[in-house]
Amino acid sequence: MAIQLLLNGLAVGSVYALIATGFALIFSILKFSNFSHGALMTLSAFVGYFVSAGTGWSLIPVLIVSMLVGGLIGLFGEFVAFRRITKRNSATFYYFVSSITLGTFYESIVTIIVGAGYFVYPMFFSKPAIWIGNFVIQTSSVVMLGISAIVLIILVFVLQKTKMGRALRAVSYDRDTAYLMGIDVFKTISIAFFISGALGALAGVFLGIYNYTLTAQLGNLVVKGFIASVIGGLGSISGAVFGAVLLGLLETILIFFIGSGYAPVATFLIMILFLFIRPQGIAGKSVQEKA
Amino acid sequence: MQFYLSVLTLTLITIIGVAGVYVLTSLAGMFSLGQAAFMAIGAYASGILVVKLNWPFLPAAILAVLISVIIGFFVGLPTVKLRRDYISLVTLGFGEALTAILNQMTGLTGGAAGFSGFPKVISFPIVLVAAIICVILVAFFKKSKYGRQCIALKGDELAAKAMGINVPKVKMIAFLFSVALVSLSGVLYAFYVTYVDPTLFGWKLSGEWVIMNFFGGVSSLTGSILSAIILTALPEMLRFLSDFRMVFYAVVVLLVLNFKPAGLLGTWELTPKNVKKLFQKKKEGTHASSGK
Repeated sequence: MAIQLLLNGLAVGSVYALIATGFALIFSILKFSNFSHGALMTLSAFVGYFVSAGTGWSLIPVLIVSMLVGGLIGLFGEFVAFRRITKRNSATFYYFVSSITLGTFYESIVTIIVGAGYFVYPMFFSKPAIWIGNFVIQTSSVVMLGISAIVLIILVFVLQKTKMGRALRAVSYDRDTAYLMGIDVFKTISIAFFISGALGALAGVFLGIYNYTLTAQLGNLVVKGFIASVIGGLGSISGAVFGAVLLGLLETILIFFIGSGYAPVATFLIMILFLFIRPQGIAGKSVQEKA
Repeated sequence: MQFYLSVLTLTLITIIGVAGVYVLTSLAGMFSLGQAAFMAIGAYASGILVVKLNWPFLPAAILAVLISVIIGFFVGLPTVKLRRDYISLVTLGFGEALTAILNQMTGLTGGAAGFSGFPKVISFPIVLVAAIICVILVAFFKKSKYGRQCIALKGDELAAKAMGINVPKVKMIAFLFSVALVSLSGVLYAFYVTYVDPTLFGWKLSGEWVIMNFFGGVSSLTGSILSAIILTALPEMLRFLSDFRMVFYAVVVLLVLNFKPAGLLGTWELTPKNVKKLFQKKKEGTHASSGK
């Protein structure tokens, strides 16, 4: 039982990690909390659903298509909601209002297309569970954990080793200096939004699979990614991953003991506790308000 | 007629909430995605006191606002010392937690089915008086020492600190004042509509209040109230578009954000002096504009 809880917790945590890294990437580069991320997840989860329902493809192609569409949605969002604000060098205020409005926009589109109905997410796996010795593990958990881990490792590699990743880090460190060094800042920001959108789409499809059902309310789960980001330290990618895994484990254990109804209360208290003990987050990189 | 009166009353209740968010967002530069949760606390706390414990309305309303402020203090406590992004994330988590509590404690709150049985003690005149008082209070707050300190720390927190402003304290005062106003709007809403359920108070409502504040003008109370009226009436007028009205709404706000970044009125306020200036400018014509 303990191993099952552990594995489920890790699987949930890895999906939260996808949400949190998508969120942290934008936070680190433009220094604002992207509240449209949840609606983007919902939108791309529905894309995954309709692709799978329409074509009957297996999991991997569905994931790839959803991630591509999610990335394009991210690009679109950057273009309509944030591009001019960034060019004007406006205060965080504008990003906040813009991201909430963009989220409202996405969500109303979902509502127009699907209404308030429930959709049963496709199963994708012929065997829903695997028996190992005496205990049973859901196939979806294993697949989710595996794919998330691979994607996150690729992300870290891209960020640390490639030219594109170095440009991303340079822009997030100091946009003006990066520009003087000959980095195409807006291209870099667009890339960040594409990656963030793709990660959000992956998380959206996984949440659909994990919960079996898909509703327009899926995007509300984005709050887990936010909480994970706070626990891990705002704007830190590695912190977001650690925070998310920790949150997933704690939450799975808590749900086992107190039931799922009060779980949001528990996660909120965990976040408050962290803010009191270690406000700079696990990563310990405190983002200062610039003078 | 009845319909218009109820739209008007709900708009006035929205104005009280927007005035509360104005203090927090436009003056102090903090964004809360959990102000709607404090509205819920106001509504549910007063409802439980009146319906389940048979309190009279007035003390119940006062105690409900007080309860919200006390809870607000503990929610605000870990965030006022940190970067302002934290308050939006923490209040968002708080809203989710509160919704879970309201859904779970079915004995007390009616759970997801909602809480009904409020006596209808609130009518249009009461809401009108309350809204006027709240707006005047906020206008005075803006003029007061704390209001000006809020504006200072919104512009530059570090510089405000260097000028000797106790930043965490001022942030907390703004947050709690905002919480009090918002929870009052919750009390009025509950006893006017006589029914509440947890889905009414999601973070989208809080977000919408922030949008209204921005839409009217970055730090204009007049603008916020005006846009509360426009943006509450707009979806009502667009009923014929049904599902598309929210898309339309979002597009309008995005257009304003992109092409009129200071909002409709910018920082302009409706004061006798400013109105006079406005008319003078029109008379003098080219002279006034060249002098600017």
